Amino acid sequence: MIFYIGPLVLGFFLGFIIGTRIKPSPESKLKFDKKVYAIVFIVAIGVAYLLGAFPYYQDIPLASGYASAIIGIIIGKLLFGRSKSSEGQIS
Amino acid sequence: MSIILKLFVFPISLIIICLGINTILGGHITPGGGFQGGAMIAGGLIFCIIVYGLKESPFKITHNFLSGMESAGALGYVFLGLAGLFTSGFFLYNLGVDLYGITPAVFQTLFNYPDPTSAGIIPYLNYVVGIKVMVGLSAVVIAFLESDKILGENEQ
Repeated sequence: MIFYIGPLVLGFFLGFIIGTRIKPSPESKLKFDKKVYAIVFIVAIGVAYLLGAFPYYQDIPLASGYASAIIGIIIGKLLFGRSKSSEGQIS
Repeated sequence: MSIILKLFVFPISLIIICLGINTILGGHITPGGGFQGGAMIAGGLIFCIIVYGLKESPFKITHNFLSGMESAGALGYVFLGLAGLFTSGFFLYNLGVDLYGITPAVFQTLFNYPDPTSAGIIPYLNYVVGIKVMVGLSAVVIAFLESDKILGENEQ
Protein backbone atom coordinates (compact mmCIF):
# COMPACT_ATOMS: atom_id res chain seq x y z
CA MET A 1 0.00 0.00 0.00
CA ILE A 2 1.22 3.50 -0.86
CA PHE A 3 1.39 6.10 1.89
CA TYR A 4 1.78 9.76 0.98
CA ILE A 5 3.77 11.18 3.85
CA GLY A 6 3.13 14.86 3.00
CA PRO A 7 -0.33 15.27 4.57
CA LEU A 8 0.47 12.73 7.28
CA VAL A 9 3.53 14.58 8.56
CA LEU A 10 2.31 18.16 8.11
CA GLY A 11 -1.13 17.40 9.55
CA PHE A 12 0.40 15.65 12.54
CA PHE A 13 2.84 18.51 13.13
CA LEU A 14 0.22 21.29 13.12
CA GLY A 15 -2.14 19.19 15.23
CA PHE A 16 0.69 18.48 17.65
CA ILE A 17 1.44 22.20 18.05
CA ILE A 18 -2.21 22.98 18.75
CA GLY A 19 -2.48 19.99 21.10
CA THR A 20 0.35 21.31 23.23
CA ARG A 21 -1.74 24.41 23.97
CA ILE A 22 -4.62 22.43 25.52
CA LYS A 23 -4.13 22.70 29.24
CA PRO A 24 -6.57 22.24 32.09
CA SER A 25 -7.50 25.46 33.82
CA PRO A 26 -7.81 25.36 37.61
CA GLU A 27 -10.56 28.02 37.54
CA SER A 28 -12.87 25.95 35.35
CA LYS A 29 -15.33 23.49 36.89
CA LEU A 30 -15.44 21.47 33.65
CA LYS A 31 -12.85 18.74 33.25
CA PHE A 32 -12.26 17.14 29.87
CA ASP A 33 -10.81 13.74 30.64
CA LYS A 34 -9.77 10.72 28.59
CA LYS A 35 -13.33 9.77 27.66
CA VAL A 36 -13.87 13.08 25.87
CA TYR A 37 -10.74 12.62 23.78
CA ALA A 38 -11.68 9.02 23.00
CA ILE A 39 -15.13 10.12 21.76
CA VAL A 40 -13.62 12.99 19.77
CA PHE A 41 -11.14 10.58 18.18
CA ILE A 42 -13.88 8.16 17.12
CA VAL A 43 -16.03 10.99 15.76
CA ALA A 44 -13.03 12.47 13.94
CA ILE A 45 -12.22 9.17 12.25
CA GLY A 46 -15.87 9.00 11.14
CA VAL A 47 -15.67 12.54 9.77
CA ALA A 48 -12.40 11.70 7.99
CA TYR A 49 -14.06 8.67 6.37
CA LEU A 50 -17.03 10.76 5.24
CA LEU A 51 -14.72 13.47 3.87
CA GLY A 52 -12.82 10.88 1.88
CA ALA A 53 -9.37 11.13 0.40
CA PHE A 54 -8.24 14.05 -1.75
CA PRO A 55 -8.49 13.70 -5.52
CA TYR A 56 -5.71 11.50 -7.00
CA TYR A 57 -4.91 10.06 -3.56
CA GLN A 58 -5.16 6.28 -3.64
CA ASP A 59 -3.69 5.29 -0.29
CA ILE A 60 -6.59 4.95 2.16
CA PRO A 61 -10.28 5.92 1.89
CA LEU A 62 -9.83 8.50 4.66
CA ALA A 63 -8.88 12.15 4.72
CA SER A 64 -5.36 11.27 5.86
CA GLY A 65 -4.49 14.86 6.86
CA TYR A 66 -7.60 15.03 9.03
CA ALA A 67 -6.86 11.74 10.77
CA SER A 68 -3.23 12.62 11.39
CA ALA A 69 -4.28 16.05 12.73
CA ILE A 70 -6.54 14.55 15.41
CA ILE A 71 -3.82 12.05 16.33
CA GLY A 72 -1.35 14.95 16.56
CA ILE A 73 -3.71 16.95 18.79
CA ILE A 74 -4.20 14.03 21.18
CA ILE A 75 -0.49 13.15 21.33
CA GLY A 76 0.45 16.82 21.79
CA LYS A 77 -2.06 17.09 24.59
CA LEU A 78 -0.74 13.93 26.25
CA LEU A 79 2.92 14.93 26.01
CA PHE A 80 2.93 18.67 26.64
CA GLY A 81 -0.64 19.62 27.47
CA ARG A 82 -0.37 18.90 31.18
CA SER A 83 0.03 21.68 33.67
CA LYS A 84 0.41 21.69 37.38
CA SER A 85 -2.80 22.70 39.08
CA SER A 86 -2.93 24.92 42.15
CA GLU A 87 -2.66 21.87 44.44
CA GLY A 88 0.55 20.82 42.74
CA GLN A 89 -1.04 17.80 41.07
CA ILE A 90 -0.46 17.09 37.43
CA SER A 91 -3.83 16.77 35.72
CA MET B 1 -22.54 30.90 28.79
CA SER B 2 -24.86 27.96 29.36
CA ILE B 3 -23.60 24.61 30.56
CA ILE B 4 -24.71 22.90 27.34
CA LEU B 5 -22.47 25.17 25.31
CA LYS B 6 -19.60 24.60 27.68
CA LEU B 7 -19.97 20.84 27.36
CA PHE B 8 -20.09 20.72 23.59
CA VAL B 9 -17.91 23.55 22.34
CA PHE B 10 -14.48 22.12 23.16
CA PRO B 11 -14.99 18.75 21.37
CA ILE B 12 -16.59 20.49 18.41
CA SER B 13 -13.76 23.01 18.22
CA LEU B 14 -11.29 20.10 17.93
CA ILE B 15 -13.30 18.77 14.98
CA ILE B 16 -13.33 22.25 13.38
CA ILE B 17 -9.58 22.66 13.89
CA CYS B 18 -8.90 19.30 12.20
CA LEU B 19 -11.11 20.35 9.31
CA GLY B 20 -9.05 23.54 9.01
CA ILE B 21 -5.83 21.56 8.93
CA ASN B 22 -7.30 19.28 6.25
CA THR B 23 -8.31 22.35 4.23
CA ILE B 24 -4.76 23.70 4.39
CA LEU B 25 -3.29 20.37 3.31
CA GLY B 26 -5.62 20.09 0.32
CA GLY B 27 -5.13 23.66 -0.85
CA HIS B 28 -3.30 22.68 -4.02
CA ILE B 29 -5.94 20.25 -5.34
CA THR B 30 -9.23 21.17 -3.68
CA PRO B 31 -10.99 24.47 -2.93
CA GLY B 32 -9.44 26.17 0.05
CA GLY B 33 -5.88 26.74 1.05
CA GLY B 34 -3.79 28.52 3.61
CA PHE B 35 -6.06 31.46 4.35
CA GLN B 36 -9.28 29.47 4.48
CA GLY B 37 -7.84 26.67 6.57
CA GLY B 38 -6.11 29.10 8.91
CA ALA B 39 -9.37 30.99 9.36
CA MET B 40 -11.13 27.71 10.21
CA ILE B 41 -8.51 26.83 12.81
CA ALA B 42 -8.78 30.33 14.25
CA GLY B 43 -12.57 29.86 14.25
CA GLY B 44 -12.19 26.78 16.43
CA LEU B 45 -9.88 28.60 18.84
CA ILE B 46 -12.12 31.69 18.93
CA PHE B 47 -15.18 29.50 19.53
CA CYS B 48 -13.56 28.20 22.72
CA ILE B 49 -12.29 31.60 23.82
CA ILE B 50 -15.70 33.23 23.40
CA VAL B 51 -17.62 30.50 25.22
CA TYR B 52 -15.23 29.74 28.08
CA GLY B 53 -13.57 33.11 28.37
CA LEU B 54 -9.85 33.76 28.21
CA LYS B 55 -9.11 32.46 31.72
CA GLU B 56 -11.11 29.24 31.55
CA SER B 57 -10.47 28.35 27.94
CA PRO B 58 -8.89 24.90 27.43
CA PHE B 59 -6.60 26.48 24.83
CA LYS B 60 -3.93 28.44 26.63
CA ILE B 61 -2.75 30.81 23.95
CA THR B 62 0.07 32.96 25.27
CA HIS B 63 1.71 35.99 23.75
CA ASN B 64 4.96 34.05 23.23
CA PHE B 65 3.10 31.28 21.40
CA LEU B 66 1.38 33.77 19.11
CA SER B 67 4.55 35.69 18.32
CA GLY B 68 6.54 32.50 17.81
CA MET B 69 4.04 30.99 15.41
CA GLU B 70 3.63 34.26 13.52
CA SER B 71 7.39 34.54 13.13
CA ALA B 72 7.70 30.90 12.06
CA GLY B 73 5.05 31.39 9.38
CA ALA B 74 6.63 34.57 8.03
CA LEU B 75 10.15 33.17 8.10
CA GLY B 76 8.99 29.97 6.39
CA TYR B 77 7.48 31.99 3.55
CA VAL B 78 10.62 34.11 3.17
CA PHE B 79 12.80 30.99 3.33
CA LEU B 80 10.86 29.34 0.50
CA GLY B 81 11.13 32.52 -1.54
CA LEU B 82 14.84 32.95 -0.95
CA ALA B 83 15.53 29.28 -1.66
CA GLY B 84 14.10 29.85 -5.13
CA LEU B 85 16.01 33.09 -5.53
CA PHE B 86 19.40 31.63 -4.63
CA THR B 87 19.06 28.46 -6.69
CA SER B 88 17.27 29.73 -9.80
CA GLY B 89 17.38 33.54 -9.69
CA PHE B 90 13.62 33.91 -9.24
CA PHE B 91 11.98 34.72 -5.91
CA LEU B 92 9.43 32.02 -4.95
CA TYR B 93 10.48 29.82 -7.86
CA ASN B 94 8.75 26.45 -7.56
CA LEU B 95 11.81 24.33 -6.90
CA GLY B 96 9.87 21.11 -6.46
CA VAL B 97 8.37 21.25 -9.95
CA ASP B 98 11.24 23.09 -11.73
CA LEU B 99 9.37 23.87 -14.96
CA TYR B 100 12.39 25.54 -16.59
CA GLY B 101 14.82 22.76 -15.60
CA ILE B 102 17.37 25.17 -14.16
CA THR B 103 17.96 23.79 -10.69
CA PRO B 104 19.84 20.66 -9.58
CA ALA B 105 17.79 17.51 -9.10
CA VAL B 106 18.55 17.42 -5.39
CA PHE B 107 16.51 20.61 -4.84
CA GLN B 108 13.63 19.18 -6.82
CA THR B 109 13.59 16.17 -4.51
CA LEU B 110 14.02 18.27 -1.40
CA PHE B 111 11.27 20.80 -2.09
CA ASN B 112 8.73 18.51 -3.72
CA TYR B 113 5.65 17.80 -1.63
CA PRO B 114 5.37 14.02 -1.27
CA ASP B 115 1.94 13.31 -2.70
CA PRO B 116 0.63 12.09 -6.09
CA THR B 117 0.20 15.59 -7.53
CA SER B 118 3.86 16.65 -7.06
CA ALA B 119 2.88 20.26 -6.43
CA GLY B 120 6.34 21.43 -5.38
CA ILE B 121 6.40 24.22 -2.81
CA ILE B 122 2.74 25.24 -3.17
CA PRO B 123 1.51 23.09 -0.22
CA TYR B 124 4.35 24.41 1.92
CA LEU B 125 3.34 27.98 1.07
CA ASN B 126 -0.27 27.12 1.99
CA TYR B 127 0.99 25.70 5.26
CA VAL B 128 2.97 28.75 6.37
CA VAL B 129 0.18 31.10 5.27
CA GLY B 130 -2.27 28.98 7.26
CA ILE B 131 -0.13 29.30 10.38
CA LYS B 132 0.08 33.07 9.97
CA VAL B 133 -3.66 33.50 9.40
CA MET B 134 -4.51 31.24 12.35
CA VAL B 135 -2.36 33.32 14.66
CA GLY B 136 -3.42 36.68 13.20
CA LEU B 137 -7.17 36.12 13.53
CA SER B 138 -6.83 34.59 16.99
CA ALA B 139 -4.72 37.54 18.13
CA VAL B 140 -7.35 40.03 16.98
CA VAL B 141 -10.08 38.38 19.06
CA ILE B 142 -7.82 37.99 22.09
CA ALA B 143 -6.88 41.67 21.85
CA PHE B 144 -10.57 42.65 21.71
CA LEU B 145 -11.39 40.49 24.72
CA GLU B 146 -8.57 42.01 26.71
CA SER B 147 -9.48 45.55 25.66
CA ASP B 148 -11.44 46.15 28.88
CA LYS B 149 -8.34 45.47 30.92
CA ILE B 150 -6.18 47.66 28.70
CA LEU B 151 -8.71 50.51 28.71
CA GLY B 152 -9.10 50.21 32.48
CA GLU B 153 -5.36 50.53 32.96
CA ASN B 154 -5.25 53.61 30.72
CA GLU B 155 -8.10 55.30 32.63
CA GLN B 156 -6.28 54.82 35.93
